[in-house]
Amino acid sequence: MYISDKIKQLDTYDAIVIGSGISGGWAAMELCRKGLKTLLLERGRDVKHIVDYPTANLNPWDFKLGFNNTLKDQVENPVQSNAYTPDDKHFYVSDAEHPYIQEKPFNWFRGYQVGGRSLTWGRQCYRLSDLDFEANAKEGIAVDWPIRYKDIAPWYSYAESHIGVSGQKENLSQLPDGEFLTAMELNCIEKHLGDSIKKNDHHRLLTIARVANLSRGWDSRGPCQNRNLCNRGCPFGGYFSSNSSTIPAAMATGNLTLRPYSIVTEILYDEHQQKAKGVRIIDTLSNEVHEFYSKIVFVNASTIATTGILLNSTSSRFPNGFGNDSNQIGHNLMDHHSSAGAYGVHDQFTDQYYKGRRPCGFLIPRFRNLNGQEQLDFKRGYNIQGHGERQEWIDKSQSITGFGTDFKAQLTTPGPWTVWMAGWGECLPYDHNRVTLDSLQKDKWGQPLLKIDFSFEDNEKKMMKDISNTSAEMLERAGFKNLDVFNYNKPGGSTVHEMGTARMGNDPKTSVLNGNNQMHAVKNVFITDGSCMTSSASQNPSLTYMALTARASQFAFEQLKKGNL
Amino acid sequence: MNRRSYLKSVLILGITGIASFSVFEWFELKRPIQLSEIMDKRNVLAELVEVIIPATDTPGAKAAMVHDYIINLMISCNTPRMQKTFISGIQDMEDYAVQNYHKDFVKCSPQEKHAIMDHFSKNTGYSSRFLNKVSDKLFGAPFYLRLRSVTVEGYCMSRLGATQGLAYDYIPGTYQACIPLQPHQKSWATK
Repeated sequence: MYISDKIKQLDTYDAIVIGSGISGGWAAMELCRKGLKTLLLERGRDVKHIVDYPTANLNPWDFKLGFNNTLKDQVENPVQSNAYTPDDKHFYVSDAEHPYIQEKPFNWFRGYQVGGRSLTWGRQCYRLSDLDFEANAKEGIAVDWPIRYKDIAPWYSYAESHIGVSGQKENLSQLPDGEFLTAMELNCIEKHLGDSIKKNDHHRLLTIARVANLSRGWDSRGPCQNRNLCNRGCPFGGYFSSNSSTIPAAMATGNLTLRPYSIVTEILYDEHQQKAKGVRIIDTLSNEVHEFYSKIVFVNASTIATTGILLNSTSSRFPNGFGNDSNQIGHNLMDHHSSAGAYGVHDQFTDQYYKGRRPCGFLIPRFRNLNGQEQLDFKRGYNIQGHGERQEWIDKSQSITGFGTDFKAQLTTPGPWTVWMAGWGECLPYDHNRVTLDSLQKDKWGQPLLKIDFSFEDNEKKMMKDISNTSAEMLERAGFKNLDVFNYNKPGGSTVHEMGTARMGNDPKTSVLNGNNQMHAVKNVFITDGSCMTSSASQNPSLTYMALTARASQFAFEQLKKGNL
Repeated sequence: MNRRSYLKSVLILGITGIASFSVFEWFELKRPIQLSEIMDKRNVLAELVEVIIPATDTPGAKAAMVHDYIINLMISCNTPRMQKTFISGIQDMEDYAVQNYHKDFVKCSPQEKHAIMDHFSKNTGYSSRFLNKVSDKLFGAPFYLRLRSVTVEGYCMSRLGATQGLAYDYIPGTYQACIPLQPHQKSWATK
């Protein structure tokens, strides 16, 4: 195809960022602030902060069907309808329109829009520590992380200072403290459980969740109004999202071009210069194909979609996928498990209540396998997340009997205190848990369907057993009764923490990215979404993506200045 | 006709017999219910939900239009099979009213309505959890429990139910983690 120089110039940027979710938004902001003309590509529609949150201010009775999905939803969107309800359905894709192949059951929850899943994320912000960064090397599992905590620590601070994280310092080596705004408060049952846990085992503690919800005004956003309706988008900007923060910040520099409705199908490789020259997209409004060019490319499409783009970008130099000399792209898919835990009811504190809807729960930081002395039948560990509350109508409608006046009186008054808690557990990187392209089936844009083959293995299953037992034990010791010890056995993907399919590592033969999230084989391409993760740790990973993105942006900018890219 | 083809035809007849029966059943269960069949039950449904959550010092389920909420759910969220068992559940209550009180359910006194609901609330399943599970799997949850569950949901999410039956805090602003329970404190409408 012949492209005139002038058009080519118009379609040329300093940087291209693929994907506008939590890491793509960060890449765009950082690169724009450094003065790079940046094109931010998003496959879905635009979502503008506040104005495109249509349900944000609605009352429960404004939803004709309550929070029930229609039969049509359940049939057409069998995966996404497990995650959405009528109040946030518009932030999820249609499964019918965006199919994928499940070799084994795998929930791939997606939000194709500007802001991606940063609109609906859980907002938990936890740092990884050297316990996590050193684990693979110590145990001889997969490959070693090419970085250690000291490499990322300042960037954690940098990210936290920008997004605003409320939390409590606890001085734990396995869960380093960060730059925190005033912590949200534990309620009386949570404090009681925390006291009991500490009393029974001084190695354990219960702390308030560390969340990107603002306990005070920050960066002209917030504060959080304690409505607990974050999943609808926050009209107060009470929590961090690309839409409320990084994209407006990037836009304010004058250096950002945001292009929604743009599916990146390929990263283009320049055989002569041995680097990426840009990307090819399909404009989903016009169905036209365009190419855009840049000096550097940041891939932030989210783990599985990034894998798809890389595998689909073949050339004579890279017949098995872009930068795939190691043949690792698509392998080592991980997701935290969060199926196992316990629930209990407490009969004290009946004269206490709360007001407001705190948008987070509590955290029991990892306490397993901290020093290698324990005799456990599994490796690594988990943190426990949960919340305490009094039973209200939703819970009571199941537990109380009868009907009529007495039933109504019981239904409408606070019931006993309860705690629900479950373990967010580390998932080891397994070579056979992988994403591939199907050789035959294509989507409506002619792109090969992604095939996901994932299962939790023995280590995860043994860990789940320990989580259930330990959770039940902690509740029992704190005086909880009627324990429900559960394992929901949710399929992979359910925690929405997909990671690992383009891992970082020191050796180009066994990893895709180096310690700066730079592709070993193609120096001007950087990948800073979940696919870069060498191991999963047990912490909710978004904060790590943000820190790595800011760090890689700085590195890329310096390399560009030096003329190395 | 020789013996061989006779046996064959008997076999085929048998198979088509079984097949046609189940195809009929399948169509019957897959066929969505007519809107009019649901709307015919609107008045009696309004009385039923009021028996479950009656007006007291706060509005009841009928004033909160919970019957319309349930009808919306039935139309949009329920399988034809669930629709049918729900309608026939209502019909059973109506039949019981006629048999025992010789009048339509809607014309029964509050005490009579209560007694009818009470009768059905006591026949909600087996004493064995396993049998209940099997039964729920095969026939769906007992009508009474389904009715009560959607009534609760519809009431607690309605404007009247949430703001008067319960305590609704539209924009709390702050989170007060531990406060003394107030006299006559209603529980929060939303989490």
